[in-house]
Amino acid sequence: MDLTLLKEAIASKSYDQVADICDELELQFAARGVNYQNEWPYAIHLLGHIYVQDINNARFIWKRTPSAIKESQPEVVAVWKIGQCLWTHDYAGVHDAIRGFDWSAEVKDLVSAFSESYTKRMFDLLSSAYSTITVADVTKFLGLSEEGVTNYALQHGWTIDPESKMLTVRKMPKVVQQKLDPSKLQNLTEYVFHLEH
Amino acid sequence: MVLTLFVVNGMLSWEDYTSGSVPKEQANWFLQTVATFITSCSVEQIRLAPDKFISLCKRFKDQVLQLQAPMQGIAPMRTAIRKLQSSAEHLTSLHSDFLLLCIVAKCYKAGLSIMEDDIFEVDQPKDFFLYCYYGGILNIGQKRFRKALEYLHHAITAPMTVLNTVAVEAYKKYILVSLIHTGQVLPFPKYTSSVAQRSLKTYAQAYIDLANSYATGKISEVEKCLETHVDKFKLDVNLGLVKQVVLSLYKRNIQRLTQTYLTLSLQDIASTVQLETSKQAELHVLQMIHGGEIFASINQKDGMVSFHEDPEQYKTSEMIEHIDSSIRRIMLLSKKLSAVDEHISCDAAYLSKVGRERPRFEIDEFDTVPQKYMTM
Repeated sequence: MDLTLLKEAIASKSYDQVADICDELELQFAARGVNYQNEWPYAIHLLGHIYVQDINNARFIWKRTPSAIKESQPEVVAVWKIGQCLWTHDYAGVHDAIRGFDWSAEVKDLVSAFSESYTKRMFDLLSSAYSTITVADVTKFLGLSEEGVTNYALQHGWTIDPESKMLTVRKMPKVVQQKLDPSKLQNLTEYVFHLEH
Repeated sequence: MVLTLFVVNGMLSWEDYTSGSVPKEQANWFLQTVATFITSCSVEQIRLAPDKFISLCKRFKDQVLQLQAPMQGIAPMRTAIRKLQSSAEHLTSLHSDFLLLCIVAKCYKAGLSIMEDDIFEVDQPKDFFLYCYYGGILNIGQKRFRKALEYLHHAITAPMTVLNTVAVEAYKKYILVSLIHTGQVLPFPKYTSSVAQRSLKTYAQAYIDLANSYATGKISEVEKCLETHVDKFKLDVNLGLVKQVVLSLYKRNIQRLTQTYLTLSLQDIASTVQLETSKQAELHVLQMIHGGEIFASINQKDGMVSFHEDPEQYKTSEMIEHIDSSIRRIMLLSKKLSAVDEHISCDAAYLSKVGRERPRFEIDEFDTVPQKYMTM
């Protein structure tokens, strides 16, 4: 089985391409009519989708994974455990699922890359959704210790009330591009022209 | 050219033997040969004998399904469609077969690739109904409800003289998706065929009941309705979707609160939308903020939620890009529409029919532009 393309993507840390590469390769292998499932990297395929937050399609991969694979490869099951927690919005469960398995060398980097981006994403979500939140809850969302959370939050300009262990969130101003280039004006001219004719 | 057609013909005459059950090796050999043929055949030549090519591909699809290896057929069928269609807007007879394979193989994502293009040309009405129905299912699987609604809507409003099963099944799903996405079911538009307007509802009574109970806004009512019709929903394989309808009502009720209140306690939210604890309410609100469905901030210290206005100010480059592309799409569409209009106005059959219905023209009838367009 020729997985060069996939290996290159992982080696160059282009994790966001893993899902698409896997999908296409799988179709190609399947079209040849050979029994490809036993050698197919299901764990990486699932993780690729989880990494780009495509839980819908990760779920379909899990559904079409042969049951023999699910029984013989505990790592595939462990990866899906992460997906399952994401599917049910079990925010704390995601971190437990990541920590709860001894990942093999092939998927280790991908898992930790996901874990990092997930923590960051959760922090962004908390910043936008809360004005005050307890330290205990943040530990669940970020999968960090209380001390870790306090440091992480203070670094990002949040403040803490040590009595009640309540964090006050500092909203992050969004940086948006507002500049227009002159070609837009050209487009606008064309629209008006279209409307008049 | 002669050689390729000969091969196609050869495959077809061989295929006649395969209509019964064939040994697995032989079937596999057939699949491999067809797959190789599809990838290597020349586009100009298969278009000379489209019917032969289609029937070969359909046999290929049947064989793949019979072997329970739908995955095997996806890539070749995708190639076959691309080679057969005269333009990206052309709906071939193979589209619906391809989507069916994607659904059976649980490989929904592969199906999306051919659904990116808008369809403008249709060969057979049956192809169109199936394409819209399967397209709806695929989009539901991807939770793209707006797109799913569009596909199912086409399936129920397409011209038909007699009712068909595809439209009935599409209508059931249409009601459910409509509730999830918009919270209501709109009446049929005027251009819906009269047979659909008259009889679709009688085949989907359970779903109409669900929509009525949904309109009360009470979770308990909807759940009661679900219990009454649970067997029917299960039989139609729509139970999962019905459960999503129930969940969407929580969201819709919370959304309604944002229109009335500026701040509200989590406890009040929980009791108003019939959730058990304030923690559950908090998680619902959090998920909705995450999904961009509401704008709010949760204050755990006081157990309060404050609702905000949509912060979008429509002045970012991204938004302008978005508006820009919409305008361009509409302009293309309007050009196409006027081209079709011109084409029909020149059609002899149309003109003779219109002429027969209105034998004598009054002078003011020539003023065919309605008043409201004149003032625009």
